[in-house]
Amino acid sequence: MKHTLSILLQNESGALVRVAGLFAARHVNIDALTVAATHDPAVSQLTLVLHGDEGTLQQILRQVRKLVDVLDASSLSVVGSGMRSHLVATPA
Amino acid sequence: MTTPMQTALAAPTIPTHPLAGQAMSGAEIVVQVLADEHGGVVFGYSGGAILPVYDAVFRYNAEHRDAAGHEPLPLVVPANEQGAGFMAAGYARASGKVGVALVTSGPGATNLVTPIRDAMADSVPFVAICGQVPTSALGSDAFQEAPVANIMGACAKHVFLVSDPQKLEATLRTAFEIARSGRPGPVVVDIPKDVQNTTLKFDGNSHLPIPGYRARLNAVAAAKLGDEACASLFTALAQAKRPLIYAGGGVVSAAAAPALTTFAETFGIPVVTSLMGLGDYDTTRPLALHMLGMHGTAYANYAVEDCDFLIALGARFDDRVAGVPDQFAAHARFIAQIDIDPAEIGKVKTVDWHHIGPLVAALEKLTAWGRSHAFHSDLSAWHAHLAQLKHDYAMNYNRDSPLIQPEAVIEAINRQTQGRAIVATGVGQHQMWAAQYFDFRAPRHWLTSGSMGTMGFGLPSAIGAQFARPDALVIDVDGDGSIRMNVGELETVTTYELPLKILLLNNGVDGMVRQWQKLFFKGRFSATDKSLRKKDFVAAAKADGFEWAQRLERKADIETTIAAFLAHRGPTFLEVMIDPDAGVYPMVSPGASYAQMITGPFIPSRSAPITPELAPTHMF
Repeated sequence: MKHTLSILLQNESGALVRVAGLFAARHVNIDALTVAATHDPAVSQLTLVLHGDEGTLQQILRQVRKLVDVLDASSLSVVGSGMRSHLVATPA
Repeated sequence: MTTPMQTALAAPTIPTHPLAGQAMSGAEIVVQVLADEHGGVVFGYSGGAILPVYDAVFRYNAEHRDAAGHEPLPLVVPANEQGAGFMAAGYARASGKVGVALVTSGPGATNLVTPIRDAMADSVPFVAICGQVPTSALGSDAFQEAPVANIMGACAKHVFLVSDPQKLEATLRTAFEIARSGRPGPVVVDIPKDVQNTTLKFDGNSHLPIPGYRARLNAVAAAKLGDEACASLFTALAQAKRPLIYAGGGVVSAAAAPALTTFAETFGIPVVTSLMGLGDYDTTRPLALHMLGMHGTAYANYAVEDCDFLIALGARFDDRVAGVPDQFAAHARFIAQIDIDPAEIGKVKTVDWHHIGPLVAALEKLTAWGRSHAFHSDLSAWHAHLAQLKHDYAMNYNRDSPLIQPEAVIEAINRQTQGRAIVATGVGQHQMWAAQYFDFRAPRHWLTSGSMGTMGFGLPSAIGAQFARPDALVIDVDGDGSIRMNVGELETVTTYELPLKILLLNNGVDGMVRQWQKLFFKGRFSATDKSLRKKDFVAAAKADGFEWAQRLERKADIETTIAAFLAHRGPTFLEVMIDPDAGVYPMVSPGASYAQMITGPFIPSRSAPITPELAPTHMF
């Protein structure tokens, strides 16, 4: 099953590598990744797509939340349909 | 939108540092933070990129000797940086304090990779400070340059590359905070040489914000076990006839052994511990069933098989415990788990009840709740059943052989030390015999590479433990394969005149690997036989300055030799030539359940074990 994660990350040296490295080390493939600036120059927003069952998703989310640079991490769900659909954080 | 950055809690405030506002070099700041946050032995090896810090340590120690001439930050120099790393880890494991290693760039740092990963895997608080090439040379393939942040980032709890000198002090303090907080672990601080040489203003109390980490940590630290949660756990406990506690290394980290003892004994719940949990609960007490798992006692594993209620405390259902998670504690109708790390809840085994929070508070709350509700459950039948298991399936070995059995040697030491010595080990058969045949009366007396299984861990970690506990009896139980891996550290023992006792159980073979080759590879002993190796370990120890170095070859001499080995005041080295065919039993083969445990030739089994050849060899 496809999952979309949203991760708020402190802009520290090597922070992106640590997130990507965590996925590699835990054998979870990243299907797509975008990194964007936020209104706070010290914070980046990562949006990341992966495949896996619910257990894989929960475990990788919990592991991501152990990274010191990570401010917040959540799984996104599609709400609505068609043109009106949008992503919202899934309650933990 | 408000980011967590803006709402983060401020770092805890402490009184102004007496040196606040002083001009210091980066190197002097490193040393001052070490003095403030650590104030103990530093293990390390010098080199070009860390020279300014070594110089600053030298000057600091010269200026701050106490009346007896002792240095506040003694530098202990190993033979190899891996040795320094395991010494720091041994220091941390034996004391509960953060271990510190200080090494140079490139090979100095990469030689630390194994100890850092080992500390991560066993949740050991550790700060490693590495010199790095100057910031202007970063990424240029400079002499002794290695991408430490990349390499260590995959192994450590966290890594900092200090590229802004203004953040050096805050980074170092934060490194100690991260290493010791929550689930402890190793933090690496990589400091370019120019940063060490920059003149800075000392603050005395600066920390990095790390708002996400601190907010999550505070949330877990504040998590209280509520009355409803207590009620639901005790409802399940009331329905249980055969409850069992499974205690792990988290009990040691949390200093929760007294709270565990009170909880277990108030409600009469028997205790099995993991390898990392040895010392959580006094193994000589009636409710203790010693270690569970792949090489656990048969009665501990049968107790797990028979229990109908299991509560895991600071334990993570590792594959050496729950090789087949579905079949682990398969008859338990209720499994509960308490841990400080949210990622461990339900990671391997689905649980019916859990609490994420500090273990001492949780156990004290449970005990208080049970007492105030006058909780009582008649477990006499279960206790009788376990006493019978302990009797029928007691640990045993080849007592009639004319050859020296390793188990007999450990029993002989244990008769003298009574579970009160600090024991470090390498990895392999000797490690398991030590785990099985020693008693452990208290935490932090058992130093072993549990998760990583790093051969060569024993000698340097015992050295570190002896520095942490100078007056304690520290014994390194080692194997001939393991001790070779860091044999250079024998000289470190005598250089620093440590009264360490080194027991080498020599079977001339990589015994654990050989045991697997015997069971799973039809006896093809590929690359494990060491019997033709020329090394004379006793001569080697003497060459490294051991005045007491002996070889034990006759079974009749065990008691007298062990007594002399332990009684000698200085460092001692005892090589024992053991039965090369001695195996570690019981053994739960990979892919097998506890019911299929092989108890070996000397311990009865209550069921027919699986044929080893049928065990899937792809299992690790």
